[in-house]
Amino acid sequence: MGIRWTRTSPQIALTPALAITFVCFFGAILWTIYMSFTNSRRFPDYEIDLAGLGRQYERLFGSDAWMTSLRNLVILAIGSALAIVFGFILAAMVEREKRGEGVFRTIFLYPLAISLIVTGLVWRWMFNPTLGIEGFLRGLGFEGAEFNWLARPNTAMYAIILASIWHGLGFYMALMLAGLKSINTEIWSAARIDGVSFWRLYIEIIVPMMKFTFLTCGILLSLGVVKAFDIVVAMTNGGPGQSTWTPAYFAINAYSVRSNIGFASAAAVIMLLMTLAIFLPLVLLTAWQMRRREAAVQ
Amino acid sequence: MTAHAASAATAGLGSEAVLYPRRKKRIRGSSIAILVFLTMCALFVAVPLYVVIVTSFKPIEEITLGRIFALPVTWTFEPWDKAWNNMCTGLDCNGIKSGFFNSLAILMPSLFFSIGISAVTGYALALWNVRWAGPFLFVLFICAFVPFQIIMIPLIVVIANVGIYGTIWAVAVVHSILAMPLLTLIFRNFYKDVPRELINAAVMDSGSFWRIFVEIILPMSGNIMVVVLILVITTVWNDYLVGLTFGGISAKPMTVILANSVITSRGEVIHNVNMAAALLTAIPPLVVYFALGRFFVQGITAGAIKG
Repeated sequence: MGIRWTRTSPQIALTPALAITFVCFFGAILWTIYMSFTNSRRFPDYEIDLAGLGRQYERLFGSDAWMTSLRNLVILAIGSALAIVFGFILAAMVEREKRGEGVFRTIFLYPLAISLIVTGLVWRWMFNPTLGIEGFLRGLGFEGAEFNWLARPNTAMYAIILASIWHGLGFYMALMLAGLKSINTEIWSAARIDGVSFWRLYIEIIVPMMKFTFLTCGILLSLGVVKAFDIVVAMTNGGPGQSTWTPAYFAINAYSVRSNIGFASAAAVIMLLMTLAIFLPLVLLTAWQMRRREAAVQ
Repeated sequence: MTAHAASAATAGLGSEAVLYPRRKKRIRGSSIAILVFLTMCALFVAVPLYVVIVTSFKPIEEITLGRIFALPVTWTFEPWDKAWNNMCTGLDCNGIKSGFFNSLAILMPSLFFSIGISAVTGYALALWNVRWAGPFLFVLFICAFVPFQIIMIPLIVVIANVGIYGTIWAVAVVHSILAMPLLTLIFRNFYKDVPRELINAAVMDSGSFWRIFVEIILPMSGNIMVVVLILVITTVWNDYLVGLTFGGISAKPMTVILANSVITSRGEVIHNVNMAAALLTAIPPLVVYFALGRFFVQGITAGAIKG
């Protein structure tokens, strides 16, 4: 009896989590995929449109806003990657110059505790043409100062990138710092004894050793970029025009403004596919790492 | 783990100083260069917060002068009072305080449900021989990263049918669902290091699943609970999308009210009040951050990598 008791209790305990996984995640994903093949508008319509099976997807890729969103996604990903580069540089400096590590870490990380909505508002204020940085610089006598990035379609995206870097810099620095600290200390002394120059040490030894950390950062960043919504709402609300739309923004907009469930579902499915494409390397990587760790243990 | 790394690093620093007394002297110049660069970067990060704080204490006439970096000449608390009590969102001028209380009301059940479910699940998966634990963990791993948009619409349909759409409960339930995979992984990773002998002994001692959880496992989960608590508090408080799509009209969290009144309102823009409202929204997570910084870093990195 005792054995039976210990077997059933864990099963009961796992039921809520199982239910959530299979209903709220799997079920919901299947439902959305199904919807993307229907002509549902404001309310779900369960009839599959056999005549034009991929109609929603055709419309999606025929829409300018979606293509803009995809382009912005790439721009945002490349731009925000600077946060990883700077995160590494800062981490390397903080790690080398141990003085003030706590203070610097506290300062670099605090934006992470702030919501992206607040982040967006803060930077919106900095970018204010008359009262923000531009006004300040012009007041100092730099008449040509141009800092009104949010008003122009071709620069608004850069403003969003700047704000995202500000928000995420500390996070990548913290990850890099953890990576740097896990490096065997003997390498530093060995390099010092061998007289390896500062740059060669970092570029040829440290960076290759930290490729796993870099890859993790890259994947997390890409996943974050696919989800970028709050920061766009707070900085530009998609504007000027549709110039700063992202896929996440597009999907929400298709649902809540255009009230088109089928269309929104198609956009969401593409988002899922992008996530999975980014995710696959992470899965392989984790498997590889686990195998390596096991090998190291044996 | 980060804490250990940090203490190990400080210990290493001490011993290194003993071993290499010359090092400090030799890199003096580059050391200054590094500190200067770090300080400049720190300024880039710190200045926006400074500007916002300063702006929120300035009367409106001073703001129109355009000197955003200057300290206020006359300090005023009026913007803060206005932001809290009678900032306008559309036609509703009750300030951001209703959002604050909504966010608190959303936070409590979210914490309870998400931590309750994930701690038990993590414990069962880590310490009891569940046959399909491996594949299930893998599935959770994927679920933790799925974009919210793909499950949003069906959840809206279900929650509307249950009849709680637009209430605090809808937002809290959705938060708990979204947090469950990641938190379970975190708990499972923590509990898997609990010695097996301990559990075996407890089982022999006729301890049941639940008794072992309550009497042995929970008392030793203090650290991980703080980490998870911070993670959930900051995500739920800072969330915008879930509140926007499930809060309806009456259960808007603070971020949604803030965004509505500052971004989408068409009325007169009052910068100092907006900045005060933004700060009011940011203060709770910032307090958590400055009070529990060490755990905060741990929580964020756990959320990121372990997931």
